[in-house]
Amino acid sequence: MPADEVCDCHVLVIGSGGAGVRAAIEASQYGETVLISKTIVGKGGCTPMAEGGYNAVLREQDACGIHFEDTLKGGAYLNDPELVRLLVGESPLRMGDLVKWGAVFDFTEQDEIAQRPFGGQRFPRTCYAGDRTGHEMMVTLVERLDSTGVTALQEYTVIDLLKDGGAVIGAIALDEKGSIVLLKADSTILATGGGTRIYDISTNSSSGTGDGFAMGYRAGAELIDMEMVQFHPTGAVYPYDARGRLVTEAVRGEGGILKNANGERFMKNYDPARMELSTRDVVARAIATEIQQGRGTAHGGVWLDVTHLPREQIETRLPVMLEQFLRFGIDIRTTPMEVAPTAHHVMGGLRITAHGQTTLPGLFACGEVAGGVHGANRLGGNALADTQVFGKRAGEAAGKAGKRKKAVDREQVEAQQNRLALFLTGDTNPALVKRDLQLAMWRGAGIFRNAGDLGRTLATARQLAAVHLRAASPGNLAECCIVQNMCCTASLVCRSALLRPESRGAHVRTDRAQSHDAEHSPFGHTFISQLHEGIEPQEMKP
Amino acid sequence: MMEFTVRVSRFDPDKDTAPHLETYTIQVNEGARVLNVLHAIHDGIDPTLSYRYSCSSGQCGSCAVRVNGEPVLACMEEARDGITIEPLHLDVKKDLVTDIVPRLEQIASLVPKKDTVLPKKADIDAMKPLKDCIECLCCVSVCPAVDVTTFLGPTAMRQEMRLVLDPRDSGDRVPDAVRDGLFTCTTCQACWKVCPKKIEIPAKAIEKLRAHAHRKGLTLPRHLDVAALIRETGRSVPRTGTTFLEQIGEVLEPYGPVKATVGFFIGCMYNMRQVQSALDAMEVLRRNGIRIIIPHEQVCCGSPLIRTGQLAVIDSLRQKNIGTFTSRNIDTVMTMCAGCGSTLKNDYKTPFNVMDINEILTKYGIEPPARLPIKATYHDPCHLLRGQGIRDQPRELIRQVVDLVEMPAICCGSGGGVRSGNPDEAAALGSRRGEEIKKTGAEIVITSCPFCEFHIMGHTDKPVKNIATVLLEGYREKDRKAGKR
Repeated sequence: MPADEVCDCHVLVIGSGGAGVRAAIEASQYGETVLISKTIVGKGGCTPMAEGGYNAVLREQDACGIHFEDTLKGGAYLNDPELVRLLVGESPLRMGDLVKWGAVFDFTEQDEIAQRPFGGQRFPRTCYAGDRTGHEMMVTLVERLDSTGVTALQEYTVIDLLKDGGAVIGAIALDEKGSIVLLKADSTILATGGGTRIYDISTNSSSGTGDGFAMGYRAGAELIDMEMVQFHPTGAVYPYDARGRLVTEAVRGEGGILKNANGERFMKNYDPARMELSTRDVVARAIATEIQQGRGTAHGGVWLDVTHLPREQIETRLPVMLEQFLRFGIDIRTTPMEVAPTAHHVMGGLRITAHGQTTLPGLFACGEVAGGVHGANRLGGNALADTQVFGKRAGEAAGKAGKRKKAVDREQVEAQQNRLALFLTGDTNPALVKRDLQLAMWRGAGIFRNAGDLGRTLATARQLAAVHLRAASPGNLAECCIVQNMCCTASLVCRSALLRPESRGAHVRTDRAQSHDAEHSPFGHTFISQLHEGIEPQEMKP
Repeated sequence: MMEFTVRVSRFDPDKDTAPHLETYTIQVNEGARVLNVLHAIHDGIDPTLSYRYSCSSGQCGSCAVRVNGEPVLACMEEARDGITIEPLHLDVKKDLVTDIVPRLEQIASLVPKKDTVLPKKADIDAMKPLKDCIECLCCVSVCPAVDVTTFLGPTAMRQEMRLVLDPRDSGDRVPDAVRDGLFTCTTCQACWKVCPKKIEIPAKAIEKLRAHAHRKGLTLPRHLDVAALIRETGRSVPRTGTTFLEQIGEVLEPYGPVKATVGFFIGCMYNMRQVQSALDAMEVLRRNGIRIIIPHEQVCCGSPLIRTGQLAVIDSLRQKNIGTFTSRNIDTVMTMCAGCGSTLKNDYKTPFNVMDINEILTKYGIEPPARLPIKATYHDPCHLLRGQGIRDQPRELIRQVVDLVEMPAICCGSGGGVRSGNPDEAAALGSRRGEEIKKTGAEIVITSCPFCEFHIMGHTDKPVKNIATVLLEGYREKDRKAGKR
């Protein structure tokens, strides 16, 4: 298998969701930029699936300080405050970019961007385009990208980051036929999104396989808070193959209520003040508890009901939900939805600075693959904002970074070639390994965790990572690499979960008694890299 | 679990010269989608099966394929036993994966004005219906104009219209749209019928863009001629002989008891070109108890103007036509022309009910005609099938008189001003219809639209007959046999 160097560019962006495209747009102002994606640009990743909205402080009655506090409180005070400050401060500016570039967000009668309430926020600051907000953003970003000089390599799968000594100098990728290509870059931006496809029940697109976490880890980067996996409270439960499909928080934002099988509005027992618009960790645990304690529906969910809302409100504000459920025979205008928690977002990720710089020279990260912005629980509407704020920041920093001498390490390339050659003579179908991993993670590293289950799940993930995968053809090599990335990401989640001996935000340890609340936790970030792992003490509050 | 046997199109450009269908039997869960069938094949039988998907929830437009010939999103379409799964009708890269990137790149992008302009709510509301597009290219897959011209396709026009409506855009989109094939659209409606988001591209983008083009003086000369003729004569075709209205009274009584009374909207083509078809229809209606009232001051419905974006006289045509029927207290107006029917139903707000002749005849039932020993095929007029949702009624009538052999429902090329404005395209599409007709082995072609009737005649050696004419032939044969006896 010859390794062709297809490019030597200034900035290489890996991933084509909201963060990756935003980063590429920004970086292109500073030098030749290449965007590489395992999907078609604009169609892959989770941004086009994001439904509910984008948080931005736009009104005089609101303030960045309030958004900051809401985000920290929602994140169980594990967020990196500096990153949160940037998020809330720059989110309105990035919204301005999108509007300038042609985004069609819903407007009020006063010709202002409309906003709706979302969970855990004291002001209705979630901007939206019906319930296809992320799609609207993605279309806008791709149109903008077209006017830059960015080269897009589509349906190429990056399998490893290229290293020159301690620095990242690009990436090794496979084209759709399984041939190796080398991409050298002065700066490389990981914008590969999240990885909750490692769970059996997940909202993520097919690309949410954690490749960035795994590749960053293998390259030597440090990751933080990888145990922090958000389970979205409301995913579809029926039919079986639709399990986990996102039912947007906007449903509750618009006034949807949750009831158990007995018709009881159970959120009053968990968060009587905020009810359905509590934070996602709280609502997800509440639903999981109701189901565990036998108050679930026949399909193993609870009811999410909007039948009391005006039909017109459902049709105009939640058209995608209406259409999706109609396709499965449910008219949400007249019938409640059945929902249950679904793995949604990885709050943890590569440790970054304010400029998206990771712990490795030459490597930047932005969007879901980066950690620290959302702490232990992300607020709905903060992820889309994150993609834009930190996509721009990483793109700008990578663009402004200097030229770098780049010597390709032939041994590294050969190692990858050997790895691929072995897949062609392997014996196990990667689809089966993926399935086993997803089931194990859902069972042992889900909403409620304990050391025993986590240890067993980690052992499973490690064992599956060592299986001799078979690529049925060169075109199947990428699949094998991705399944190995999933195993690696799953291990990182389990190891980090074992490192955090407390319940905090989305991470619940049922085997640990605890007297402190999140604000007074003695613990900070968990950290994990090839060199070390551990948990930081919480910095003293001013 | 359920067991399904399906056929999937396989093609590897490195090995195969042409795609072929493979049969697979798989187990899937209740409620499985077509995508789950593909997963089951890939995960359990043949990992080399290539198909594209991403969101699995109808939002990214990656997974569009054809199921039994119809474009669908694999992730949303419920799987059934026995289906055939094929790639979209685009260039195929491998198996079900098509080369969509060049098509996506042709879709225009907004170019912001130098000084930032903000849209108003009214702008947002106008653009929103055009912004649901997930660029799955189902519309391009079924577009007949894309097949025979360089037309960029329905969704490219959708985007041009959205940009026209956007105050932030600095581009001059209307000439671009004309360059990219605005006038090649036959308004066959196939695009939005397969659109997963049901974006009405012909009415909401194509016809609107054509109206903008008209304001900019970009209307095709032949379309201007038609508009001038309508302004002068109230009719969209020039007079060549005695018209239908000139040879028929205002009221036609049925031969037997009255089952129903309808007003008849004749339309320009039946009035002045396919006169005999209309006369035959009157005979069939009278024989079946329908009293027909035919106001003689009716004029062109305006369809040729609406389809080509020339809207100046539309309101007066509408008023005149509506008034002529309401003044006679008619509660049901029958159309016979698919184009007029679609226009009256979709572009008018009528105080009366509008029904196509096929609906009238099947609603009240017909006397059985004699069976003719003829094998016939039926051409679905676009403005009947998709414009009015009438599929089964003509078949129900046809099957009573002749044997019916089906062919795919594709535009003949005569609609949307294409026959007059782009005759080469119309001829190319007509020839394709001719080939399909040949494949069926039918002896005659039946249709129910004067435009289709007239156009297809030029592209097949088989007789093209109106459905009413064939029914009348059945009655004449019946009478002949009865007379003999």
